[in-house]
Order: sequence, then structure tokens, then C-alpha cells
Amino acid sequence: MGADGVVQDIYIRNGKIIAKPASHEKISQTFDLAGKIVMAGAIDMHSHIGGGKVNIARMMLPEFQETKNYSEPEAHICTPNCSHHATPNTSDTGFRYIEMGYTAAFEPAILPINARQAHLEMADTPMIDKGGYAMLGNDDYFLRLLSSNADQKAINDYVAWTLHATQAIGIKVVNPGGISAFKFNQRRLDLDENHSHYQISPRQILKSLSRAVHDLGIAKPLHVHCNNLGAAGNFETTLNTMGASDGVPMHLTHIQFHSYGTEGDKKFSSAAAQISEALNRNKHITADVGQILFGQTVTASGDSMMQHLNAKLANPKKSVIMDIECDAGCGVVPFKYRDQNYVNALQWAIGLEIFLSVEDPWRIFLTTDHPNGAPFTSYPHLIRLLMDKSFRNDAFAKLNLDAQAMSNLTSLNREYSLYEIAIMTRAGAAKLIGLNDRGHLGAGAAADITIYTDQSDREAMFAKPDYVFKDGELVVKDGKVVKVVWGKTHTAKPAFDIGVEQGLKQYFDKYHTIQLDNFKISNDEIAEDGRGGIINHTN
Amino acid sequence: MEITQDNAPNNPSTTIVTCPACGLLCDNVSVEIKQSRIRVLNTACPKSIQFFEQALSDDSPKINGESTTLKQAISHAASLLKASKNPLFAGLSTDVQGFRAIYNLANKTNGNLQHINAQSMARNMAVLQSSGWQTTTLTEVKNRADVIVCIGTDIISHNTRFFERFVWLNNQKSDAMFTDSGKREVIYIGENLNTKAGISPDGRQPESVNCSKSDLPEILAVLRALIMGKNLKAQNVAGIQISDLIAVADKLRQAKYAVLAWIAKDLDFPHAALTIQSITETVTLLNQNDSNRTGRAAGLSLGGSDGDTSANNASTWLSGFSLNNDNIEHDALVWINSFNAKKLPEKTKHPLIVLGNANTKFEQTPDVFIPVTTPGLDCSGTLFRVDSAVILPLKKIRENNLPTLSEIARQIEGLL
Repeated sequence: MGADGVVQDIYIRNGKIIAKPASHEKISQTFDLAGKIVMAGAIDMHSHIGGGKVNIARMMLPEFQETKNYSEPEAHICTPNCSHHATPNTSDTGFRYIEMGYTAAFEPAILPINARQAHLEMADTPMIDKGGYAMLGNDDYFLRLLSSNADQKAINDYVAWTLHATQAIGIKVVNPGGISAFKFNQRRLDLDENHSHYQISPRQILKSLSRAVHDLGIAKPLHVHCNNLGAAGNFETTLNTMGASDGVPMHLTHIQFHSYGTEGDKKFSSAAAQISEALNRNKHITADVGQILFGQTVTASGDSMMQHLNAKLANPKKSVIMDIECDAGCGVVPFKYRDQNYVNALQWAIGLEIFLSVEDPWRIFLTTDHPNGAPFTSYPHLIRLLMDKSFRNDAFAKLNLDAQAMSNLTSLNREYSLYEIAIMTRAGAAKLIGLNDRGHLGAGAAADITIYTDQSDREAMFAKPDYVFKDGELVVKDGKVVKVVWGKTHTAKPAFDIGVEQGLKQYFDKYHTIQLDNFKISNDEIAEDGRGGIINHTN
Repeated sequence: MEITQDNAPNNPSTTIVTCPACGLLCDNVSVEIKQSRIRVLNTACPKSIQFFEQALSDDSPKINGESTTLKQAISHAASLLKASKNPLFAGLSTDVQGFRAIYNLANKTNGNLQHINAQSMARNMAVLQSSGWQTTTLTEVKNRADVIVCIGTDIISHNTRFFERFVWLNNQKSDAMFTDSGKREVIYIGENLNTKAGISPDGRQPESVNCSKSDLPEILAVLRALIMGKNLKAQNVAGIQISDLIAVADKLRQAKYAVLAWIAKDLDFPHAALTIQSITETVTLLNQNDSNRTGRAAGLSLGGSDGDTSANNASTWLSGFSLNNDNIEHDALVWINSFNAKKLPEKTKHPLIVLGNANTKFEQTPDVFIPVTTPGLDCSGTLFRVDSAVILPLKKIRENNLPTLSEIARQIEGLL
């Protein structure tokens, strides 16, 4: 643990990394990694890999698919229908991740009512471990509790019950209160503005949910998609949101989309400096960036309110907006980010400005909010942008000139080190989510290991590891999958008072359209076919 | 074990089950189980009763109509598929697990997939893939809808319990959070619709715009134009007074939460997708940012059965593509009808393999027939509700010796 540039042997037994065995024990297989860069398997802590809105995106966009013939062993389970990287099918998702040395990815927006679909899709995603964050804060059960001044214990029990029922490892809130407010015809909701029906504010929702997550003792802090996503001037909402939890930890996700000012002729500017400065100061806040990269993609979000506003920018011109089950909603809008478009170019620069201005790599995470900012397959390119200043500045010089004039990116000289990349994509992500045996190479860790050849072209290096081991098995060699495995599902199941089900049952019977028991996903459902399995990270 | 029943054979047990007979997936159906006989206790829904009370008949596999062993039937099916260059897997009436197994078998055999409801599903997919839509789900309808427009359908012919479960609530056991359910306005547009279910508990008649099916495209285009704010010179369209449609448009504009419902199967006329698009675009217009608007609107596609929504979703995540209705060349037909014995394959000149409901009575004797379990009756399973948002587990509720579709598909695959 904490090994930076240390040269040492690693021993694996039964899928785990172990201390050096006694001299009489036989070593059955040896890999010579002299001169190689060895890291734990990478962990994507925020990637839309499964569930309703992801599948709607695939369904709506057949033009994203292309046909490609796979070779063995991928051909065993991959169809000839290779997928566009913005909307990969489940097999593709697993294969493209493991090829880059990623061994886990977390779906950040599981609607509790739709959790069964998310887990079905993740079960069909090979090679990697997975898990997800359940969305609360726009569901009418919670909003009724909060608006009737229920005590914190009742909220805590409901949050814990949701983690169990949905087989999730964390809790997310998307546009706190806003998805619900949109169903009542509110079109925007700011941090201290009241929901028209419940007369409570996003700040109250954040305070209550962050407290619940903290009290329950799960590792993953409340995952927050702030109000006002994508809106010019939203950085003030983001800054104020940092103070909404009274110092209780929160994670602000895809913060790039929430760091916009209103300066300049076009009334759209970078607020990366203010946001980064606040992140550096507020030690209870973590964030992932949600970098955009240029090209065709699709945005799939629970934020029906803001995606409805964004639908006019859809490219190609189509979108899906849904109200879902008094639980949440979704909005799926295809986007094409262009480097000659002022706003897109500045979004690109804002993301990088944040990466380079946030000092602590343990509190900032590498994401593109796949597929919303860019497909996850662009991570090697993004890593090169962070590690290679001249490469970054060359790219910047090609941007829309008005956008260049509004960014200080070229004055930021920082280049990320390999060790910082390893923290941001491995150790930090594992610590944040609470995966104690992942993200490091110490004895006792799961043997999820990625081996690269050191190359000055960091994009080429991170795109194609020499070897990837998943739970001790060699699964990728020279960037190609050599063995198909299925990975496990990571969950957190804190203790709670089962009495919470009394109120829930009454509520379900009266207002919902399914039985409470059917809402809950059993362990057996996830472990079906003997392929999957659950790992519970609650102490 | 999913059923808590007394082992004494004459002692009936009751349990609550999920009904896969239509897209609503009612999961509050109470059944009495006595050995392999099942009786539905708490609903008169004919679809539900027909499904749960179907007998368990001869379960032996057959080759050319003659009983044989399972092993021989599987081996013969495998040899027919080996000889085929491009088999078609059709019907696809099964759940998520069954579809996944058939999907794998189709990949292994260069096969194509076509669901029994492909034609009507394709109408919706055409709209989704050309413009998208703004839709809602059943719990939202139950709790919010104050105006419900049934377009070209009475809904209950497909979804018997729609009004009972989601529209007219008894307020004691079941209620709406944000509207007075008894005061909802129901409007029908179409011909020969059974509008009885649209009568409110206090006897208020629903509104009806009576028009022939073939006039729906024109009438819905006019309704969209009215919502867009266009002034029309015509006094009537397809025999309907424009003033009647203006009244409908006004109700939609004044609604807190208007729901525009359709069933793709009932819109069975040429270019029906364009009519569905008129509906979804009307919703989009109603939801446009406009400070004068005080409400919301949403589309609702209903109907659904034979696991169509499940197969379409699973196909989409497994392959990246939704199911389509292409006219597919094939040289062997594999028919899957796990849920309903009455769903038969079209007559074919090619080898025919049926993996399906044990009660199936054939018009054309298949080369191979392997009876398989019916999910929700003979085995557990998983199904998507018609709104795609809710996915429910199905239970095994009667003892049987049938293999599951997944087991058979895997065994055939193993011989290829």
C-alpha cells in the first residue's frame, strides 16, 4: 500500500494477494514483470453501465451500433453487433473496460423501482465487478417523510432499507427535489427554493440524506448531482451545496457540468477556479469531474427537469423524458460535443481546469460521467491530457477561439504523475466506495492487477495493458481478452429497524402499483446461474 | 422453496402471485393451490383466470407427433439446427431468462429473432427512434392523472384491470396522492370502443369522440395543430366538429397531469407509427416551457403480453439493438410459446421446432416439440411491465416435471 515506484514481487493465491510465502511452498506460475508499471485494477466510481435510461439510449439510437466480428474468446458471448462506445451492449461494456485495465465500474443512478433491471444488465456484463448507488430524494415516500418532519431515525431506517432492497452500495440524489417538482410543472429548482407541493427545499433534502448516509456508517458519502445541471451561472448553486450538509461528507458528481459562470459576451464562462478553490478548502467534499471530450455521445440522466430543458439541443434530434413511479424520472438526450462550438469547447477546458486545480488526488476522481461527457473508452486519452502538458496545450490551440480567450488552461502547468493517476483511478475510488480489498496491491487485497509498459505516449500506454488479472486469473494479455469471467456485485447493508416496513407496506398498498415484497431484490436473483455473487462491505 | 403450502395433498394453500397474462403484471392475484390445480380467488379478469387455471397436460416431448425421450428430442432439434444455415427463432413468448437463453442459441446458430408482437412493437420503436417521446408509468398515472385520453383503444380489451387498479380507486385501500381519483376525466377517441370502464364511480359518463379507425391519423393531426395554437378554417374534420376537438384540447391544456394513452396493437392501419407520433408530439407541445401552462402531460403506451417488453429490453442490452419486424429469410423455424398454448406458429415449409406450452394443440405437426415450463406457473422468472419501469419476479406455484426453456436451449447449444 502506498507503494510509488517500489520494485517488488507480488504473490497471488486463491484470487488474493498474499505476503511472500514460506520457501518450501511451490510457486506454480511466474510472470516476469521487470521494468513494467504495476497497478491495482482501475475502478470507475461513476459510469452509467446499466438500467432503464441506459437501455432507452441503446433502444433510441440504433444508428450508434456497428457490426464487427469478434474473435475468441469474446465471440463466445459477444454478438457480431459491436456497439458504439457511447451505448455499448452489456458484453461490450465488460470487454472494453477490462481491456483498459479497469476491473470494476459503478452504476451511479439506480432508480430503486428499476433496480432489478440494473442488476439484470450488470449480471450480463462480463469481466468486471459492479455495483450501484440507489437514487433517493425525489421519491414521494421520502418527500412525505421529510415534509411531515419525520425524525432522522425514520429517514435513516428508510435509507438503509433502500440499500438492502436495491442491493446498492451507496445513495445518490439527483437534482434534489427537482425531478419530483417537474411532475408538478416546476421547471427549475434552486437550492433554497421550495418544492411547490411539499414546501421543502433541496437544502433540506441534502441535509437529511447526507446525515442518514453518515449515521448509517457506510463508506460512500451521499452522491450528489446538484440542482441546475448545465445552466450558466450554476457554480453558485454548487458552492452553496457544499455547505448544505453542515460538514457531513458529500460527493459532488460530474462537477464540470456544475461549474459554469455567466461572464463574457456569451454569458457563459468558466467558474473552475472558484469551484476548485472551494474543493481545496472544503475537506468534507469529494468530486468527480465528468470531463467532456469531443464527438458523438448520448446523455442519460435521472434529471428529467434539466434534460427536458436540454432536449432542444439534442443531436440527433430526438430525446426521451420520463416520469417514473413516484420514485424518480429520467431524460435521455443525444449530444455531439464540437471543439468549434464555444460552449462545448469551454466545457472541455473547464473540466481540465478543475482536474489541474484541485490539489488532493484523493478527493477528485477521473470520470467522463460515461456516456454523458464522453464514452469511458476515452479514458486513456483523458489521462494523457492530464499527464502531458504539451499534448494538452496543442489540443487547446485547436479550440474555438472565443473559448480559448475565456480559459486559463495554458497557464496551468501541472502534469499528473503515474502515482496520482493510480490514486485517482484506484486507491481513491476504492476508499471512497469502501472497497477495502480493492484499489491497492497490499497483502490481503483481491488480485485485481493491471500491468502496463511505460510509454511516453500515456494514451497508448493506458489503452493497452500487457496483462490484466481479475481475482488472480489472467484475463487480458497484450490488450486482448484471453478468458471470460463475470465479476461480483458490491453492496453495503447497514443494520436498521425492520419496523420501517410497517409504514412502507401501508404506503405501497395504498399508493403504489406493486407489492412491497416484490420491490426487494433477493441475493438469489443476483447470484442466478452461478455467474454472479454479492459482496457485502458493511462492517 | 417459493410456496408455503401444506404438504398434505388435499389441503389447499393460498398464495399471492404475479400474473403475466397482460402487460400490467398485476402482482396481487390470490390463488388457491390444490395439488396441480389452481384457482384464482380475487379477480374476475378472464386473462388471469385463463392463465392460472390452465391444466397441466401431457408433458412428453414428441418427434413428428410421436412421444419420445427428452434426450432424443433435444438431439433431433440440435441436428435440425445444425443443418440450418439461418434459423428463425419466433414467438419468443418467454421471460427474461428464457429470452437470454434463446438469444445465445440464436447467436450460436446464425439465427434471427422475431417476437409474436413484432408488428405492433415496431410501431412504437419507429417513433422512439425517430423523435423519442415523453412518457409516464402506472404509479404516476394512479397518483397524478386528472385527464386520461384513450386513443384508438378502450384499454380494457388488453389490460382488463387498468381502470380498477389505476383510475377509479376506492380511497380506503387504494388512493391517489395528488388528485381526487373520482373526479378524473376520461376521454375516448375511436370507434366501437367499450367505454363502460370509463364511467366514474358516481356515474359520470366519459366523453367520446366517435370516429372510425381510419380517421384517427387526421383527427390526431388536428388535435396536435390545436395544441400548437393553430387557427383552423375548417368546421369539421372526418365528420367530427372542430369545436369538439377544441374542447378536448382545452381539457388537455387545463389538466394538471394529462395522460395520452394508446395501444400499438389497436392502431393496426398503414403508417400507424405516424399517428403514434402525433400523440407523442402533442405531449411534447403540452410540456413546452410556457409560463401560462399550469400542468404537465405524458404519453402512456399500454397493452403488451407474451413477454414482449422483456424480450425487447433484453435484446437491447444484450445486442445493442431492439427487436425489429424485418421479414426474415430462414430455412428452419423455432417457435417459442411458453405462456400461451393458443399462440401457434404460421404454417411453414421448413423444419419446425417448438419449445413451448405443454397444452399446445398444433395445426401443423412440428418436427420436434419439447414442452417447457410456463414462467409464473411452473417455474420462477422475471418479467418487465408494459411501462418498462417495473420488473417483477414470477413464482413457481405448481409441481411439474417440465424442463425450463433455458435448460433446453443450453442443452441444444451444447450439442452444436
